[in-house]
Amino acid sequence: MLKAEQLSKTYETKDWAGLFRRKQNRVEAVKNVNLEMHQGQIIGLLGINGAGKTTTIKMLSTLLLPSTGCITVDGLDIVKDVMAVKKRINMISGGERMLYWRLTARENLWYFGQLYNIDNKTLEKRINMLLEKVGLSDKQNIPVERFSKGMKQRLQIARGLINDPSYIFMDEPTLGLDAVIAKELREHVKQMAYQQGKSILLTSHYIQEVEELCEYVYILNQGEVIMKGTPKELALMGMESKTLCIELYSNHELLHASILEACHEVEKDCNIHWDADNSRYTICSRKDVSNVVTKVLLDKQVPLKGFYLQEPSLEDAIVKLSKNASKNTSTEVSA
Amino acid sequence: MLDLKTLYATFVRNFTIQIRAYPKDFFIGNILSAIYTSISAFFMYHLLFKGNIKQSFIDYSGTTDYISYIIIGYSMYHFMVRTLLNVSRSLITELREGTLESLMLAPFQRVQYFVGNMLQQTITVTGEAVIMILICLPFGLKFGGLDILSTVISLLLSFYAYFSISLILAAVMLYTRDTYISQNTLFSLLFLICGVTFPIEYLPASIQWLAQGIPVTLSLEIVRNSTLLGVIAADQAGNFLKLFLISTVYCAIGFLLIKKVETTALEKIHG
Repeated sequence: MLKAEQLSKTYETKDWAGLFRRKQNRVEAVKNVNLEMHQGQIIGLLGINGAGKTTTIKMLSTLLLPSTGCITVDGLDIVKDVMAVKKRINMISGGERMLYWRLTARENLWYFGQLYNIDNKTLEKRINMLLEKVGLSDKQNIPVERFSKGMKQRLQIARGLINDPSYIFMDEPTLGLDAVIAKELREHVKQMAYQQGKSILLTSHYIQEVEELCEYVYILNQGEVIMKGTPKELALMGMESKTLCIELYSNHELLHASILEACHEVEKDCNIHWDADNSRYTICSRKDVSNVVTKVLLDKQVPLKGFYLQEPSLEDAIVKLSKNASKNTSTEVSA
Repeated sequence: MLDLKTLYATFVRNFTIQIRAYPKDFFIGNILSAIYTSISAFFMYHLLFKGNIKQSFIDYSGTTDYISYIIIGYSMYHFMVRTLLNVSRSLITELREGTLESLMLAPFQRVQYFVGNMLQQTITVTGEAVIMILICLPFGLKFGGLDILSTVISLLLSFYAYFSISLILAAVMLYTRDTYISQNTLFSLLFLICGVTFPIEYLPASIQWLAQGIPVTLSLEIVRNSTLLGVIAADQAGNFLKLFLISTVYCAIGFLLIKKVETTALEKIHG
């Protein structure tokens, strides 16, 4: 298990404040973050730009030292036992960096394999397996500089798996990938977690991707975890009202008054919208009005085309939660 | 068995990249610049000064062979510059090419990584130096008193010295994210005060004192002693030890600085 407790990171930067004077700035990128990653679990880290997702991932992957707090990986301290921890983790970033462009795909994987001190026979087998897995076997001897963006990203994934890590950090792994390759990547991620038992932490700007993959999500805003839970729970948390949709085959004008009356009995200020073009009611309310509406429809014997509660969206929830949280938070302190 | 995977892999990686990225022209360019220096010295010595050198030069350098003094000095300077360029720039090159993070994620041995960089460069420069020396022979290069054992020890210790300085320069480059100003300032300084083309005794006393603290000065002295003056290894044992100790201090400081600067460099990517 990977466990981060009270994790904080403060960057100290110096900017010129005149010709000779330098001003020191302290930016608290991450504040008191607690999170856990269990075996075979895919967790998500969400937030708007500058929320602290990348800094958190860099600390978890040993690239940055936390200012305060501690991280343990299978009981090993990430600072004291850094070499042992590095063998168990790896990171995959979106974009085209983290690879040697003048080396071929195979040479890149061989080089990183050597850095991880993998014995030659195992490394040879693993390189072949990974190249096959990411679909680059037939392009393995071409220098990376001649690869397309998608091919580079696939090689990045292979590089991130070269040490067979137990914990994988994926920072915007589908950034700039076309839909087909992004879908393939998501399949890889699921396979790694559910079939191979790897723990995966994912950040992405594509909320649907997080909803599809992650079992548990942490929402960061201005460096703090403002909410955590399953995607479903989080979406519901952000929803202040429920949306009921009723689709009819034709317009039943006599129905309007009854529905209005029934809904207002449950909640006075609920919002009812009639879309005449599509013969559809959309009813937004904090309380559940589905029972009373069902009763009216049955009484009037109205044939229904559709009757459903609109699914709450994680995206809306995140925007709403971030907005609420930022009202009370300030991260930048000048010293 | 001693595990040298990182060293070997870095050595192979650099050779592969060098062959693909900097083909023959870089090699030729380096040889030419060394030859031009030798030719300039040759013409100045024979045509301008008509073979006359001051007694003070002979007293300070211990030789009357000015041309060989210059060529050997410049060859070693060339070794130093190339080593410093390659080892010092290794981490900042990783930073600029976007591979520093993937490298730092791995549990690799820093010493092996730097030695791998150095070794690849040393082999390339040795090739350049051999060709350079062959071409310089007609211009009057003579190994008047060559002592093989002493020369081998001097060269090995010199490589260690250059490696040690390059670690400190690597830390400075990574911290300042600058390669041009830091390296060129250092090269100019070393060229001026370490006795590349003239004995350091011509410099003011305070500068001489500074020069003695830089391993390059002693490195040039022992290499010239071993190739021009025929000083055997036993007679230079004190200097060998001194160079080894100074270089070790530089090496230790270099590694400490790099360890500290690595963290800062990674923070600067996001900070």
